[in-house]
Amino acid sequence: MALRFHWSMSSAGETLKGSKARSAVSGIPNLDAHIRFCRQAEECGIDSLLTAFGFHRADPIVLASALGMMTTRIKFMVAVRSGICSPTLFVQQVNSVAAMTGGRICLNVVAGHTPEEQKYYGDFLSHDERYERTDEFLTVCNAFWKNTGEVDFAGRYYTIEKGKLNTPFTAPDRTAPEIFLGGNSAPADRLAMKHADCMWRLPEPADRMRDKAHMLVEAGTEVGILVSLIVRPTHEEVLEATTRLLANFDGAPKRTHEEFARKSDSVAFTSTYKLANADDWPAPYLWTGAVPYMGAPSIAIVGTPEEVTDALFEYRDAGVTQFLFMGWPDLEEMARFSSDVLPLVRQREAGEASKAAAAS
Amino acid sequence: MNALKFHWHLPQGGERQGASRGHQDSLEVTGLPDVEHRLRFCRRAEELGIDSLLTAFDWARPDPILLASALGLATEKIKFIIAYRSGLIGPTSFVQQLNTLSTLINGRFSLNIVAGEQPDEQHCFGDWLPHDERYARTEEFLAVCNAMWRRDGPVNFTGKYYKVEGARINTPFIAPDRTSPEIFIAGNSAQSQAVAMSEGTLWMRMADRPEAMRAKGESVLAAGKELGVRCSIIGGRTRGEALEKAYALVAEKRDGFNDAATEREFMRKSDSVNVRATYELAETEWLTPWLWTGAVRTHGAPAVAIIGSPREIAEGIEELAAAGITQFIFGGWPKLETMEFFGEQVLPLVRQPIRQPKEAAAAL
Repeated sequence: MALRFHWSMSSAGETLKGSKARSAVSGIPNLDAHIRFCRQAEECGIDSLLTAFGFHRADPIVLASALGMMTTRIKFMVAVRSGICSPTLFVQQVNSVAAMTGGRICLNVVAGHTPEEQKYYGDFLSHDERYERTDEFLTVCNAFWKNTGEVDFAGRYYTIEKGKLNTPFTAPDRTAPEIFLGGNSAPADRLAMKHADCMWRLPEPADRMRDKAHMLVEAGTEVGILVSLIVRPTHEEVLEATTRLLANFDGAPKRTHEEFARKSDSVAFTSTYKLANADDWPAPYLWTGAVPYMGAPSIAIVGTPEEVTDALFEYRDAGVTQFLFMGWPDLEEMARFSSDVLPLVRQREAGEASKAAAAS
Repeated sequence: MNALKFHWHLPQGGERQGASRGHQDSLEVTGLPDVEHRLRFCRRAEELGIDSLLTAFDWARPDPILLASALGLATEKIKFIIAYRSGLIGPTSFVQQLNTLSTLINGRFSLNIVAGEQPDEQHCFGDWLPHDERYARTEEFLAVCNAMWRRDGPVNFTGKYYKVEGARINTPFIAPDRTSPEIFIAGNSAQSQAVAMSEGTLWMRMADRPEAMRAKGESVLAAGKELGVRCSIIGGRTRGEALEKAYALVAEKRDGFNDAATEREFMRKSDSVNVRATYELAETEWLTPWLWTGAVRTHGAPAVAIIGSPREIAEGIEELAAAGITQFIFGGWPKLETMEFFGEQVLPLVRQPIRQPKEAAAAL
């Protein structure tokens, strides 16, 4: 199976995403910048673009519906938190976007990572209860997508009777959206194995991810990593890029993220902060130096195109088959990835395929 | 007095000529966004001077916020009236979706909030509240929304149905002339009237005799809010031609679909005071010489029709305006042709009354 590559669109129109306090982000989407971002991603062979969810951002599904009308190939990975709307309404919204964009929508389900922010949305459940509710939410959604008649469900959080919708999920190759699910806790693992096509993890060194990845893959759920990327032609330029990136910070944004880490109850986020506190280089290709300033997702795969390709295949051999990248700035890093790394990846995949064919 | 605003119903996906709501909802095409066809309708509405188009909400149709997003991006002027229900989405997220939409289409929409028409359909969305509680919830829902739109700090709210703490979002509502959308409260019950007065900007009702509309709406006007009406237009060159169309609409059988039985069943299951009251109102076929209820029992409550020649329709609208109504949402069969008839032949009469004021005419 070919590796798949996605990119986060959170920064479209911004240069140093994650470095501002969330409350200082404008929240007004720059439509032109987003469209440029989408078009370049289409040219760069990116599979889908993540539209994230947060109080400081534009609503991801409305944004995806708009961008879907202005583009032709790129897919949108729309972040969704349970507990905010009725699953029936949610399916109606997702199916509406699918019908308007030729099925170019997939989902990134997150349970919410900060209790304080969940309360803005009227959600007062604890971490584990949020997972329980997300389980019910996805069970109802999947029942609609199975499209085998009226949906009846009686749970602790949702009760649906004779649920029906007239707008089907339509896509060239699927009858339901692909579901990605982020998390790093045991409840997240269980939920992913039950409902998700692919689970997003924050990276650790590849060999440390193998056992858990194996468990998920055995259960039929792919594993992907959410990671930043720094590719440069030489190792010196790689190190220079990391140094230059850190030079952007004078200490204030670090406090922003210390504050966030303190308030977060997300196991995935807090474990990356721990990893970053222990070591700047947990593996030769994995750099945590920016995490204190730009947050957990700024843990980065860094190196020359060859080194990065090697790292991607190390992850693949550990069971990781999809990647959701970010970069600084995103569009430049995406262009470098597309021209310098992606051909090496596809070449190696083709080489392996022909070797496998010759062997059989 | 506010300048009158005229809105129209957006056609359904694959709309059949003359099809009743029940018939249309039974068709799979109704669930499709049908963006190209609807865009043509939007552009025509812009040319004709229609203010907004209503994107309806129910289980059978695409989501109206996302539909308005797609249509709004491809149009310049036309606004949308987004129908939504409380109880299906949290108020913070609802405001975030709408504010996002406003930044994309320059705030070209208002809201038509319905508390729900039928318990069965609400159950399908996971909503189990009875009629009166749905209004209490709608009031809380809009109280939170309005607090978010005031943007004067984090919102704290503890009610029976919603609780938010420190709520804020970074995406503001953006429009040339407003900081929040107009909020129409659709209904006929005392509860809907109360919500229109406390949290809405306009009370949107089904059509009735002008004097009845004035009597029920007076307190709303006194509270500084507007009155609106949702009804249909059936026009012809002459009254006779319009009547012929009206009777043909009701008599026609489409694909063997039993409109009357479906509407009867819808009404039987409905707990909406608006829907039931209009169904009962239809006992009287002619509420005024120009206000006809003959299609209500096949085509639903919004089918109360202003009927006649362009001049008779314009006079009907003026009578409703004199009763305090400032915004109108019209439909017709077929929608496009009826909207063209309205825009080309009725609207000029309403906008530039060539008719003398009644007193002046009487003095001649």
